[in-house]
Amino acid sequence: MDAKKKVLLIDDDKDFLLATKLILEKGGYEVFLAEDGKAGVDMAKSLSPDIAIIDMMMETWSEGFNVVSKLRTSDTGKKIPLIMLSAVDLQGPYQSFEPPDELPTVDLVLHKPIKAVELLKFVGQLLR
Amino acid sequence: MDDKAGYSARILIIDDEESILDGCRQALEKSGYTVMTTSDGPDGIRLARAEKPDLAFVDLKMPSCSGMDIIEVLSKEIPGIVLIVITGYASIVSAVEAMKKGAYDYLPKPFSPDQIRAVTKRALEHRFLKIESDRLREEKERMERSFITFVSHEMRSPLVTIMQYFETLKVISENSLEQNAKDIIDRCEKRLQGLHDLIEHWLDLARIEDGSFSEAKMPIVLTKILDRGIEELTPLCQRREITLEASINEPSAKIMGDQESLVRVFTNIIGNATKYTPPGGKITITMTQDDYYVYVNIADTGSGIPADKLPFIFEPFFRVKGKDERQKGSGLGLTFVKKIMDAHNGKIEVTSQEGVGTRFILRFTRLYEL
Repeated sequence: MDAKKKVLLIDDDKDFLLATKLILEKGGYEVFLAEDGKAGVDMAKSLSPDIAIIDMMMETWSEGFNVVSKLRTSDTGKKIPLIMLSAVDLQGPYQSFEPPDELPTVDLVLHKPIKAVELLKFVGQLLR
Repeated sequence: MDDKAGYSARILIIDDEESILDGCRQALEKSGYTVMTTSDGPDGIRLARAEKPDLAFVDLKMPSCSGMDIIEVLSKEIPGIVLIVITGYASIVSAVEAMKKGAYDYLPKPFSPDQIRAVTKRALEHRFLKIESDRLREEKERMERSFITFVSHEMRSPLVTIMQYFETLKVISENSLEQNAKDIIDRCEKRLQGLHDLIEHWLDLARIEDGSFSEAKMPIVLTKILDRGIEELTPLCQRREITLEASINEPSAKIMGDQESLVRVFTNIIGNATKYTPPGGKITITMTQDDYYVYVNIADTGSGIPADKLPFIFEPFFRVKGKDERQKGSGLGLTFVKKIMDAHNGKIEVTSQEGVGTRFILRFTRLYEL
């Protein structure tokens, strides 16, 4: 049997981390949690996860983008799929928040709350 | 002179008569003001730009330059400057004209030192009050903005996390829960979704009010927006066994608008229709146009809105009472719709007959592109 795929979850909301972790574990993944951007970047280096899921708004409104930028310039982060989570609809009509001019590229943006079936479906697709 | 901690108000005087300049300077310096003078119009503008005085006296009749033009330039370019025109008795009409262009007061010639001091004092008080009220308005706006930010993060985050927990609860408990426990989870999720919608709608409204949406307007094909709305609501209609029918006569009609908010306009109205239409009912959407307007008609065969309630349906938190709990909305959906239509210079009308159905008619101004 294959070793479990490793998912790194980065979010400053502990409860959200736990809730999402349980869904992913039910889907057969090994899940690692980071409670802030810096821990997330460090863990990505030491753990070599197969995929990382990053919340957009953490300590600051766009901390998630910083994390993605850092991951994308690191050896591990370059190769793996990245999912960004957002509680606000980035496509929505009036954001008080202005995204940076150059958005770092993620493979997918998902909106919180996420349906369990969708989360597992998308993670599965990106890892295929 | 100013009462505020030794600050000496700075006053510029532009007049071609040297005797007036001297007189004013003496009268005002005696009161402790800092005075700059010039007898040349263009030089006066240059001085004002460089020194940004608190107050400027401008003679309307000068050989080198029209005082009226100086008033116009200074009132536009120098924020907060208070302008006073100096004028002969014969030119009261032009003094009025100057006040229309931004002057605060006028001083008729000839005037005494006491008169110019009195006018100066009043003008500086006016300036102080204006600065103070601007500051308070900015403070209020800043607080409103941070309140929106607060609501969007501090209220939405915990709610989203609770919703995520419920999602998790369903996954990890799977078949171990009894049906009544599953029903409770279902009900909780519906109520949470309602709260989530309420926050989203409230934020939508707040952002319309702070005006951050008009820039997103661009030429759009209305059918595409309508199709997106229909597509989004089709699964819901199927679940509730409501027929959703669309007939669009003019697929190419364009308007100027903001795509995402217009999609929400349609999903709001169609979503409302599904709430009040019983299973087996029908929602009919038609789109027509004439030379000036595009019309979107959304009609349902629902319970209708009582005539005495009809005038209030766009008011915030107004709800037409339904028999069923699922009909509860945020109470802000139609308020949002109306605001968006207003922001598009559109029009929305509603007709309804109890027991027969409700019809919304949305009118948009057509866009003709060259």
